[in-house]
Parts: sequence; structure tokens; C-alpha cells
Amino acid sequence: MQGCVFSIEEFSVYDGPGIRSSIFLKGCPLRCSWCHNPEGQRSTAEIVRSPNGCIGCGNCINSAEKKNGETVFTLESIKNCPKGLLRVCGEWMESGALCEKILKNRKLLKNGGVTFSGGEPLMQSSFLFECLAGLKGQLHTAIQTCGFCGEDVFEKALLSADFFLFDLKLADGAQHKRYTGVSNEVILTNFSKLAQSGKDFVVRIPLIPTVTDTAENTEGIVKILKENGVSYAELLPYNKMAGGKYKMLGREYRPDFDEGMTVNIPKEIFDKNGIAFKVL
Amino acid sequence: MTKLVEALLKQLKDNSYRQYRTKETESPILYPVDLFGFNMGCGKPLKGADGGNVSPNYKRIITMGFDATRKELTESISAAEDEAKKEYGMRMLEKLDECIRVCDEYRETVRSNRRLCNALQNVPHKGASTFYEACVFIKLCIYFLRIDKAAHLGFGRFDQYMYSFYENDKKNGVTDEEIFETLEAFFISINYDSDLYTGVQQGDNGQSMVLGGFDKEGNSMYNELSEMCMRASLELNLIDPKINLRVGKNTPDEIYVKATQLTKQGLGFPQYCNDDVVVPGLVKLGYEREDALNYVVAACWEYIIPNSGADFPNIRTFNFPLVVNNTLHQKLNLCESFDELLAEVDSAIKCESDRLIQSVYGYAEKNQPLLSLFIDGCIQKLADMWRGGAKYTNFGCHGAGISNAADALAAVKRCVFDEQTVTKAELLQALESNFEGFSELRNTLRSCPKMGNNDAEADDIAMHLMSVFSKSMNNRSNGSGGVWRAGTGSAMEYIFTAAKCPATADGRKASEPYSSSFSPSLDVKTNGLLSVIQSFTKYDMTDIINGGPLTLEIHDSVLRNDIGIEKTAQLVKLYVELGGHQLQLNSINRERLLDAQKNPEKYPNLIVRVWGWSGYFNELDIEFQNHVIRRCEYLG
Repeated sequence: MQGCVFSIEEFSVYDGPGIRSSIFLKGCPLRCSWCHNPEGQRSTAEIVRSPNGCIGCGNCINSAEKKNGETVFTLESIKNCPKGLLRVCGEWMESGALCEKILKNRKLLKNGGVTFSGGEPLMQSSFLFECLAGLKGQLHTAIQTCGFCGEDVFEKALLSADFFLFDLKLADGAQHKRYTGVSNEVILTNFSKLAQSGKDFVVRIPLIPTVTDTAENTEGIVKILKENGVSYAELLPYNKMAGGKYKMLGREYRPDFDEGMTVNIPKEIFDKNGIAFKVL
Repeated sequence: MTKLVEALLKQLKDNSYRQYRTKETESPILYPVDLFGFNMGCGKPLKGADGGNVSPNYKRIITMGFDATRKELTESISAAEDEAKKEYGMRMLEKLDECIRVCDEYRETVRSNRRLCNALQNVPHKGASTFYEACVFIKLCIYFLRIDKAAHLGFGRFDQYMYSFYENDKKNGVTDEEIFETLEAFFISINYDSDLYTGVQQGDNGQSMVLGGFDKEGNSMYNELSEMCMRASLELNLIDPKINLRVGKNTPDEIYVKATQLTKQGLGFPQYCNDDVVVPGLVKLGYEREDALNYVVAACWEYIIPNSGADFPNIRTFNFPLVVNNTLHQKLNLCESFDELLAEVDSAIKCESDRLIQSVYGYAEKNQPLLSLFIDGCIQKLADMWRGGAKYTNFGCHGAGISNAADALAAVKRCVFDEQTVTKAELLQALESNFEGFSELRNTLRSCPKMGNNDAEADDIAMHLMSVFSKSMNNRSNGSGGVWRAGTGSAMEYIFTAAKCPATADGRKASEPYSSSFSPSLDVKTNGLLSVIQSFTKYDMTDIINGGPLTLEIHDSVLRNDIGIEKTAQLVKLYVELGGHQLQLNSINRERLLDAQKNPEKYPNLIVRVWGWSGYFNELDIEFQNHVIRRCEYLG
């Protein structure tokens, strides 16, 4: 079966234990206001232009099409860039070919493994499970997920991978809906399943200024962690570079919060509740 | 950091140390500053240099002292019968006496600096008895040698030859903290006067230092002093000394972690050298095992033997892309298959090797009587180091642009022969017109297999090129009492010779730079670091061991905390386990470099790795700045 992969990072440092490769699958059901991987949102392939090294010759724009006011690059644009800066983002790959590619580095990944990330990897669940089956017994596997998927899919995922990186963003359902586009109900159900499964996992909390880094949200998240018997979390402070990739896609980055604010690391609340954390 | 070190560091940063170059000012610092006695107040930068790039035997000189060295020399002269030898001995003696005279004068001018003055009561007349005196002595030697136009002299295995002084101090009740302060002050002092002695670019001064390594039983020689040097370098964050760390399969993880913390500083070092590859490689070139085990690096990364060697490791550069390109223009039309073309490339490599060898057959540097005093055997033989005095006088040939050449051939193989999407005539015309009007063809060439992707199609060609090159060079006589050694370095030639090379079949335009040393071509988006380290360790590197590192750029955000540091350390370990010979890892941030080009005043202390050395970004010529920026175009 084919899946759409938008990036393979061979030496990925912050996506699970040991030296790992990360596979980024295209497509995500969420639209987080702070998303720093916008090329992972849509499920289909799209053309992107790297701004680094652009000489501004305009060849790509001249061969582009206009759709709903957006500039959409064409295959001609790719060909006509003298610096080779345009590319198709999102490659359709057979699961077997992807596994083969990953396993080529097996020797170097022996103390780490492979992490499927996205987008949301469970959005291409059948493809993902085929890949995981193909790697079983050969490499340590992990899934980095927002937890938004059918319970049946998540249960299958629990049986298929060795390790999970589970994002918890906002504790309040309405807030979650406002900033990510979906409610967190099924996410929390799936999170409980993970906590009860006995699987190794780590919780990751993005710290978005004035959105997720508030005392109120932190208290809420900590409560969820405690209810599920979790005593450690990794915090990912918002990075102002997040908007960088939107331009590549010809889109505009419009965060729904003031990105100039300093990120608050809610240390006291974690400490008070006896939950250890690490800032990544 | 002690108060004293803090003060010295401040003086270095704001250049106020330079006031001590005049005799009128009382010098409160620990080590001599140039012009304060030495350069006789001429106050001008020293232009030009004679030979160098060797690792002098500081240990012997600072242990014996100038008086005992002088005695040995005069005895050798009296015993000699050959007039020419006697005469050369007298030239050495003249130089030595001049050093002694200048030092005696100098001592009088620093009377008010009690500590320095006390040290100068002993050194350089007598041998050093403390760690501090040893440092002062070395500092004096560096000035004398530089003024005598010996360039690019490294510190060699400082942690090994200084260890007895360290041990002795400890026995006499000196604490580690006191020794550490002396060491830090010494490190600061070797950053003085960079305005007076410039290389190709400012910072290119050859002050490398080699730490660690293994002895003949395989025991680690990384000691307390190695640790102190690493710590001092980390704390001071200065260009010099440029740390080289000798590692091997038995290097413990924590040393890699400490080294990676140093990488995080963004200075472009430590550079790693793999004993498991370098030592057997040097033995294959005829070095005695004992000497090979003692190897150090020259100014950048060329492996040399300290104390007894006078190798000339960068005397010539093999221009791989140009040789391949010329072959394409002359022979492509005559070749029916890729194998035929490759055979033509082989012949061209052999011809070019012959030419390079003949071009300097029997060459020797100018006589350097002062530097020869520091090279073992010269006093006994009363011979110049370059003319029979030293034990080794081998020549090294850099191999520049290996990846560009391999990529070019891989593209020709695929497009012209395998898939036949490009005709020979089209390709040659595109190259001749520097791809003007051929941008689509150029993109096709650029999308072909590239070295660095762990892709056999390109890597096999690279291995073939290296094999032919090393067979055409290694162990051939250089007519100067030594042999040739093939290498993977480029030095400044990735800019300079590349500037003269027309468009190449990998899609590189005329005069665009090559990759620096042994690295993926510029502008090649590789699969990632795991593929790169596998591509660049496939070849048996003991075969091509003149030096020249795989250069990798890591975005500085990867090293932002201990997780990233630990994993990057593991990556280095993997590279060593795979049989890589030399690695230069740079922590870099492209946006910061671009900003520094626009607003240099904001970044007076921004340091980057250039080729075999690190320099202040603001002091580099624009083409070197741009190369550093382009090297990280595809990072995170």
C-alpha cells in the first residue's frame, strides 16, 4: 500500500530514545494555530519553495497558477527554477520501499529506532500499520501522535508500536476546539487507553504563549496527568521560527495569539504536583 | 574562572593587552606579549613565511633549556669534520645566541612583573621546572620561531609532553585550580598578536593542539591535563588553541559528550581523528609504528609526526573535478560505454599524479636553522630539517573536490549511458556554455545520485577515484628523501582552484566552490547525517591518509540541551566505529550568519570553522563567508 511521506529525518534528536530516524506522514486532522509543520497538514502532495538561496528571478511565479487568490506552483515552476529550490512536498511511497529505506540504516539505529510523526501519522493508519508490521522485530518503533483518531485505530496502534509520544495541548475542550479545530474528547479517551496499556510513552506539551502556557491550562493538564498516573512530561516551548514554512507553501502564517510574548515555563505547578519535566 | 583569568580575557577582547607591547608600560600579565622586546618595536605585521607546518619538539628544548642545547650544539660542531656541516651548525648557533640575547634583554624590561621575571631567571637558560615556566618557555619559543618566519606551528600533544610538569607541580603542593589558572592564562596568551601574524585568512595561524590518543597497548592517554585543556577551551571560548581529539573504538562515551559540549560553543572544534585508522594508515606509508602512534595534526588536519618529522603535507593539490572535466571534453565522444570513460579518467588521474610529483621532485624548503634546532636529529647531524636533518621528509597531496567529481561521473553514467536522456553533444555544449540556456538539463544532472546519500551509484565511483588516486601517489619517491601520501583535504583550494574550474557535469557552474575537504558537494540535499557518515566511511581510509576531514554542519538548535548533546556524541561515535578517519563537526545557525553579514557590528565575537581552522566571521573575505553559509543551506 502507498502512503504520502513529506519528510524523512535520518538523525532526529528529539523524537524518542536513542539515535532515531523520523518519518513524517502527510495529513493532519488538527489545525493548530501554532503549527510549525504546515506542510504536514494537507493529505495531498503540494509544491513548496525554499526561500534559502532564492535569487528572486521570478521564473517560478511566472509558471504558477492562481487559485482562490493563492499562488500555486506547477511542475513547470520546479523545472524553471535555476537554483533548484522548488520541490514536490509529499512523496507517495510503498510501505515496503519505505521500510527498506529505513532499514538501510538499521546498524546505526540499533540503540534508537524509528519514529513515525507527521502531520498525524494515524491519519494514514493502514499504511502506518503496514510499515510497523514490516519493521517488527528489526527496529524499535515509535508513534508521535496528537491522539485524535478512532478508538479502534488507537487500540490497534497500541499493539503495533513499541513507544508513543503523545501530545497534550489544552485541557479545556472549548479552548482545544478554538485553537486546534477539534475537541479533545477522543484524545483524552485515547490517552487513558495508552496510560492503562502498559506501553512505554512520554507526554509532550507544547508551550504556546498565552494559550497553553497559562496557569489555568497547566493545572488542567497536570490534573489529566495525575488521573492517568503520569509523573513525567516533556515541554516544547514555542519557537518564533514556527511561521517560517508557511511562506514556502505560499500561505500566510496567522497565529491566533501574540507570538511576541515570552513563553512561560510553568515550573511551580509541575513541582507542586510532583511531576518531573524536561524542557526540549 | 578566576579574577585574574577574567581580567586577562577582558584585555584580550578589548585589545588593551596591546599596550604591553611598548617597553614603557609595566606588564601585569603572565606571559610575554609580542613587540615587548621581541619584534624590536617595529610594530608592523610580519609578512610572508618560510617553511612550517611541523610540530616542533618543544618538550626537549624546554626540558633542557637553551644553555644545555647550546652545549650540545657546540660539541656537535667541534666534533664535525665536514666544513659545510660545521658552517650550518654555526648558523644554528647564531640563531640560538640571538634568542638568548633577546631574552636576557627582555628579562630586564619586566622587572616589575615578579612572577614572569622569576620564571625568566630560569628559562630559557635552564630547563623549566614548573608548569608555569614550561608555558612561558613555549611562549618564548613561539615568538622566536615566528619572527624567524616559521609558520603554522602547532602545539602537538601538549597534554602528553606537559604532563611531567603538571605532575611535578602537584607533588610540590600546587593545586589543580592553580595549574588550571596558569593553563587558561596560557591559552589566552596564544590568542595575542593575531593582527601581526596572518595566514591566508586571519585565524589561519596553525595553532592546533592534539589531545588524547592511545598507546601501543591500546591504553587511553587522555589524562587530567587533557581534561583541563578541554575545560579551559570550553570556558574561554577562544579561537586558539584549536583542539583536535584523538579517539578510537575504546574511547568512552563521556569523552564524546564533553567534546560535543565544546562543539556546541560553535568554534568548529574539536576535530576528531581516529587512531584506529590513522595509525595503520601511516604505518602503510612507511612510518615506524612508534612514530605513527605519536601522530599529531599540522596546521589544519594533515597527519604529521611530531618532533622528528619534516613532512610537507600540503605541497600539492589534486584537482579532481578539473581532471574529470578535462577527460569529458577530450574523451567522452570516443567512449561507447561508461566503463570506457572511467578507464580514461583513470589514465588522466595517473597522468596528473605524475605531473604533480615531477613538478616538485627534489624540492626542499629554505634552510631554517632555528626551527631545525627543534627537530630531532638536526643538532647531531648538523643538517637542516628539510635536508636530511629530520627523520621524515614526505610530501602530501590534497585531493580536492572528490564528491563533485564523483557526482559528475554519476550524472554522466546515468544520463548519458544508462538512461540516455542526454546526448554527449548536449552535455558538452551545456558545460561549455556554463549551462546558459540549459537550466532544465542542469536540473536533470542535479537530480542524479550524489555522494553522501549512501547510494552505491555515486559512492562506488568516489571509491574508485580515491583508489586510483592513492595508488598513483602513495609511497612514490619525492626525490627529497621521502615518499608521497594521498589525502582527502582541500585547504583553501575548495575556493581557489575551484574558481578556475569550468562548469562540471554534476551541475556545478563555472568557478563555483567545491565541497570543503571530504564532504558532500555544496547545494546537495542529502538524505541526512546517517547516510552521509556511511557514504564517507565506505572506502578504506587507511589508504588515503594525508588528512582531510568529513565536515558536517549541525544546526545549533540540535545541541540546545543534554539530550541533543548526548545523541550527537553518539553520532560521532558511530562515525568512528564505521572507520571514518577524521571529522569536523560544526554547530551553526544560518540566520545568525546572514544577519552577521548585514550587521557585522552586532557580532564581534562570532567564530566559524573555515577549513582546517576557525576564524572570526567578520574577518573573513566574502567568498569564505558565503561558503560557510551555503554549507548549511539545508539544515533544519
